[in-house]
Amino acid sequence: MTDSIKLSTLTQLIQDSIQSRFDGEIFTVSARIMNVKKYISARRCYLTMEEYEYGAKITEIRAVFWSNAYSEIEKFEKVLKQPFKDGAEITCKVKVRYHKVYGLNLDVLQIDVAQALGTLELERQQTLERLVKEHPEQIQLIGNVYHTYNNRLELPLVISRIALITAPNSDGQRDFLQELKGNKHEYQFSVTEFLTTIQGDNAHELILEQLRLIEKRQEDFDVVAIVRGGGSISDFRPFDDYTLSAYVAGFPVPVFTGIGHDRNQSIVDLMAREQKTPTKVAALIVEHNFDFENVLIDLKTRMSEAVTGQLERATERLEQAKRIIRLSSPRDILRRGFAIITHEDKIVVDPSLIKEGMEIQTQLMNETIHSTVTKKKKNEKQTDL
Amino acid sequence: MKSKLTYSEAFTKLEELVEQLEDGTIPLDKLAATVKQANEWVAVCEDKLRMIQAEVVADADKVSKKSKGKS
Repeated sequence: MTDSIKLSTLTQLIQDSIQSRFDGEIFTVSARIMNVKKYISARRCYLTMEEYEYGAKITEIRAVFWSNAYSEIEKFEKVLKQPFKDGAEITCKVKVRYHKVYGLNLDVLQIDVAQALGTLELERQQTLERLVKEHPEQIQLIGNVYHTYNNRLELPLVISRIALITAPNSDGQRDFLQELKGNKHEYQFSVTEFLTTIQGDNAHELILEQLRLIEKRQEDFDVVAIVRGGGSISDFRPFDDYTLSAYVAGFPVPVFTGIGHDRNQSIVDLMAREQKTPTKVAALIVEHNFDFENVLIDLKTRMSEAVTGQLERATERLEQAKRIIRLSSPRDILRRGFAIITHEDKIVVDPSLIKEGMEIQTQLMNETIHSTVTKKKKNEKQTDL
Repeated sequence: MKSKLTYSEAFTKLEELVEQLEDGTIPLDKLAATVKQANEWVAVCEDKLRMIQAEVVADADKVSKKSKGKS
């Protein structure tokens, strides 16, 4: 056996070798992050970077974000709207460092956020393409709008029975209910809450579970609202999940989403009727009912006008009939200076029956003249009265 | 006559009736009864907007014990 050396001598050798090979060199690597431990107050983060091939891990190395690089994590979370946590894929700049006590580490200097964003968007596009391809009857892309069975469902004239999927005691729940209850038109609603976790790794499964419960009672609801508040870093991945998105697209009750975000729409948003916030979903429902009330008011006005018009026309026709009757009465005729000729108490209509020498009576308004016919001749032309 | 129609049926009938009224196809002697009926249909629709027993029901038995989300 050769002479032993001190461990520190060996580690010094390792350190020297590594330093001479890697000193100052910066590498860009892509890896999956695991075992993430963030120390927010110290602004430090320890993790492992791993690589997988066909589902099997083929390499792993420890890595650290020191305080001077911690802002990279904050930038990642802010831009990608997802937490920096186990399972995330990142591309970053690193330096290799060996410490005799702490061993081999990668010091992370910078995260390529644009690349991560691109990867996320690519995954999203792939999910969307798969949805259209695998559910052609329920999901069609027309122009740049996704037409789904669900978002093409006709809304009832009045929305009053709402199935609400939200997190218990959450801002989203409170905002939604407050907007509904405080509506200035005093519309009333029946809200049944299906409470669950709305974010986290298995949130999409929990939301799916609630949708299945609602589907069993679909006749009880006019619409479904899936809401959550915005605010701090939110994980939108549950709402980009393929299975949940497909389920929403084919759901038999119209779904509204108000999941509070300002980046591009989630895939579930695209499959449903999307509003940005819980408050906006509630406001839209109130507005929908207000539209119905306006139509009702319009119908009432039209009905009133139609009835009034019909009555006025009937009254006018009645008045006209009365005028004609009045003008046709003998009394009115006499008052206007005409006379009635009678012979032996019968009105003479045919003048040819009157012969010279006959006694006739000429009845005027106030007097009757008795006379004997002495002469009679035909008018040369038609009397033009 | 008490209407037992749903509000959407009442609304459809109301729309048809208003068109008939505007076309003048309702005889005068039936106008009063028609208007009375129409007003009952209007009431059914208005009730739908405001007369529902307001309630918020949490499906307590369905609430997942895993639910800790605060969003």
